[in-house]
Amino acid sequence: MDYTALYPEIIVALFALALPAVNLLIKDNRFLAAVSLAGVGLSMLAVLMFYLDGTGSIAFDNGLLVLDNFSALFMMVFLSVAFVVILASVKYIEKEKHGAEYYSLVLLATVGMMLVASATDLFVLYIGIEITSLSSYALVAFRKKDIKGTEAATKYFIFGGISSAFTLFGISLIYGVTGTTSFAEIGALVGTLTEYKEMLWLALVMVIVGFGFKVAMVPFHSWAPDVYEGAPTTITALLAAGSKKMGFVAMFKFFLIAMLAIKADWEIVVAVLAIVTMTVGNLAALQQTSIKRMLAYSSIAQAGYILIAVAVGTEYAVTGGIFHILTHAFMKGGAFIVVATLATVAIGEKIADYKGLAKRSNFMAFSMTVLLFSLAGIPPLAGFASKVVLFSSPIMGTVDGADWMIWLAVAGIINSAISLYYYARVVKYMYVDELEEGAPSEKLKLPKSMMAAVAICVVAIIGIGVFPEPFIQLCKDAAQALFA
Amino acid sequence: MEIPILSLMLLVSLVGAVVTFALGKNPKMAKISALVFSAIPMLLSLFMLTQYVQTAGGYQFRESFTWIDSLGISYILGVDGISVPMVFLSTLLVFLAVIFSWDVDHRTNQFMALLLVLELGVLGVFMALDYFLFYIFWEVVLIPMYFLISVWGGPRRSYSAIKFFIYTHIASLAMLLGIFALYFEAASFNGFYSFGMEDINSVSPLFGLTFQIVVFGALFFGFAVKMPTFPFHTWLPDAHVEAPTAGSVLLAGLLLKMGAYGIIRVALPALPDGAGEWQIVMVILAILSIVYGAIMCIAQKDLKKMVAYSSISHMGLVLLGFATFTEIGIAAGVFQMFAHGLITAVLFMMCGVIQHKAGTRNIPRLGGLAAKMPIAAVFMMIGFMASLGLPGMVGFVAEFSIMTATFDAFGWLLLIPVTSIAFTAAYYIWAMQRTLFGPLTKEVDTEHLHDVYWFEALPLAVLCGLIVLFGMFPAMVMDYIRPALGTVLGLLGGI
Repeated sequence: MDYTALYPEIIVALFALALPAVNLLIKDNRFLAAVSLAGVGLSMLAVLMFYLDGTGSIAFDNGLLVLDNFSALFMMVFLSVAFVVILASVKYIEKEKHGAEYYSLVLLATVGMMLVASATDLFVLYIGIEITSLSSYALVAFRKKDIKGTEAATKYFIFGGISSAFTLFGISLIYGVTGTTSFAEIGALVGTLTEYKEMLWLALVMVIVGFGFKVAMVPFHSWAPDVYEGAPTTITALLAAGSKKMGFVAMFKFFLIAMLAIKADWEIVVAVLAIVTMTVGNLAALQQTSIKRMLAYSSIAQAGYILIAVAVGTEYAVTGGIFHILTHAFMKGGAFIVVATLATVAIGEKIADYKGLAKRSNFMAFSMTVLLFSLAGIPPLAGFASKVVLFSSPIMGTVDGADWMIWLAVAGIINSAISLYYYARVVKYMYVDELEEGAPSEKLKLPKSMMAAVAICVVAIIGIGVFPEPFIQLCKDAAQALFA
Repeated sequence: MEIPILSLMLLVSLVGAVVTFALGKNPKMAKISALVFSAIPMLLSLFMLTQYVQTAGGYQFRESFTWIDSLGISYILGVDGISVPMVFLSTLLVFLAVIFSWDVDHRTNQFMALLLVLELGVLGVFMALDYFLFYIFWEVVLIPMYFLISVWGGPRRSYSAIKFFIYTHIASLAMLLGIFALYFEAASFNGFYSFGMEDINSVSPLFGLTFQIVVFGALFFGFAVKMPTFPFHTWLPDAHVEAPTAGSVLLAGLLLKMGAYGIIRVALPALPDGAGEWQIVMVILAILSIVYGAIMCIAQKDLKKMVAYSSISHMGLVLLGFATFTEIGIAAGVFQMFAHGLITAVLFMMCGVIQHKAGTRNIPRLGGLAAKMPIAAVFMMIGFMASLGLPGMVGFVAEFSIMTATFDAFGWLLLIPVTSIAFTAAYYIWAMQRTLFGPLTKEVDTEHLHDVYWFEALPLAVLCGLIVLFGMFPAMVMDYIRPALGTVLGLLGGI
């Protein structure tokens, strides 16, 4: 059997399994991190080889998995997130025990995401989701003695378990109706099965609920702020930038391949959920005093934006969705890593703790400003470029005749404006407000590896913002591959 | 090879901002660096004025590069007779604002760097010939202005800065929706996707009427907030009252012009039929702004707030000029943009001077300043007289032409806006009487009143000189504007 399509996953999985063994010989945390980084790097190389090869698509085992432009792009996104998270973790978990298990779990979570990216079959997709979920439950609970962390992990586990059950139930219904689990075959059949329409609707509802939990879609979002707040911040970055995006990949595949034929039945539902999700996320974010909760709610809002791509469902819209997932991974991942970095020098997680930060660390304040303004969609940053493609897609739909789509764009735009308020507020704290009297004012000495992780994100955000062309092209190819 | 003079201006402002920011340790050097880096674009724009061929029409100094090919986005710059005066005004006002801010000692390097970033954004707006690029520069302007207000502003700066930021950002986003709609609609006629203004405008008469009406509404909202037009003006008095003087000068002198410029450069050419349907709304809002702004001025106690409301009134005149859809009306509107930029800069600088010397801008608490500050009083009188439209000064030419055009287009409807002339004269002369003349007030420590410093007098003198110069010889500006209106009028001709 030809395993070429699986090479990237296999590499990461091997490293993940080897890490605990290596740990028996060498206990050094930094060495373990270096090994994990090497694994991620090698896997990236494997994906790059695919791109350079130019074969277009490599299927595995008659279409359980496929390595194509779509999955390759998402693998690169997930691997970059893992790379940045591991880099930032070196210092962040320095004092903790079980470093080997930590890195191993991060890598396993990444493997799950990569499997989802390349799955062409509902069961493979489900297995990928579960690998990631189980690893991340453990990662959230990584600080065993931290009450908040343990509570978050319990909550995450229960919610995650229920959502998996819903997904699985939905999948089994679909299998019952169509007799297959392959996306392409389901897609070919659903349009013709008019006598089982009610059954399909039930399955759709189940899957929307199941995936809705994963991507923190309103009203299934209530776990996200608690988990994001309670988890170690580097893991929060992984959840927000990685595993949530995996949920979207799953949604793209499920809705836009398997269920495309009956799009008329679900597009309005998804559109309404998109609008509700972005609005609730933004309004809740306005009131937060903890920066991690604020970023968590902003993540929910961004999930609403990305759902626009599912609701519109054209190739152009999916290009926008993928592009926004890509930029959001860097913006949100970077922002959480800034929080993690500052936590290592005893700067708290309240927004008010960021007062006068610019005086203590220009680099951190500047990075956070770039990341937050990018999240708000201020040009010429990457978040603006991706929102342009994403928000213009419903307008394209409107000009082409689907009048209701205009409301998606209007809602997205109004929400962007609302979101500016809470992003700008953090910037104001950092640059405008003076340090409080009696507060320490000396320059911060920050861990180099974490600064490097932040720098990677900031450079990516500015770089993609100023030269979006190659990235749009990649996303376009990916969208084409999805619809192929 | 020709020098890419427009890009060079943008590049110099950008480099200047970075260099100035880097000179954090040495405020004096930061100021000098800002001075040099704002002088270069001004000299370049003077050079541009001499090289621009007035009679040729069309866009000159054009630069064009493909930027984001897959979306049809290009980096296209170019200027015509409408943008040339605005580019000159921008470089001039930023240069003068830098001089006027010579005594800013709080985070000097950041202040000066932000002025230069602002220059970059404003110049970009006036030069961009691609809607996407236009929007980017449009948004770039917000960030430095937000910081200028929120760091160097008055007591309620935080509220005002956020209000300004969110209000104008919402407006920009509405405009962005409109731009997207233009982009896709034009693609269906052109057969290719492009954000280029010329590409889109070339097929604009073909757009359906309903489409034009809806999209014009979105764009007009975006620009009306920026101008600002009644009833979208509420951010302006707050922002002005709290902003530092240089911020106010650039806000009123340049940022408001962006709104008006957007109407003439974007909304009218891209949606000529939509503009026709909206004409009546534009006229009503313009007249309301003119009269409401003027009446509000009479009620103000804060000198700066009065000047802020007078801006609403005067920008209403610009909109009224545009709304006539006649050559003279539009030309006069553009001329009024230029005139108001010069005049309002003087007025806001004088507000800054008085606040600085007397410690208050509260009109009832002031009095008899002319006796102690004769030079300042002269500048202030010139500014007031110019603003109320005294013949021989630049404001008169603009106002008179707009009124003439209004009469030609709408007849006796002119009677409503023309009342504002009386109100304007009333509030300026009354304010002048209460602040400059009369007995010396006891509320202010008049013994230590110092007349203007050199760094205040110099920009004021330059501006007053130009106000009189262009008032005497308006053709110096009009000769740039009028030949450029052919394209706009050609599109509107079908109405």
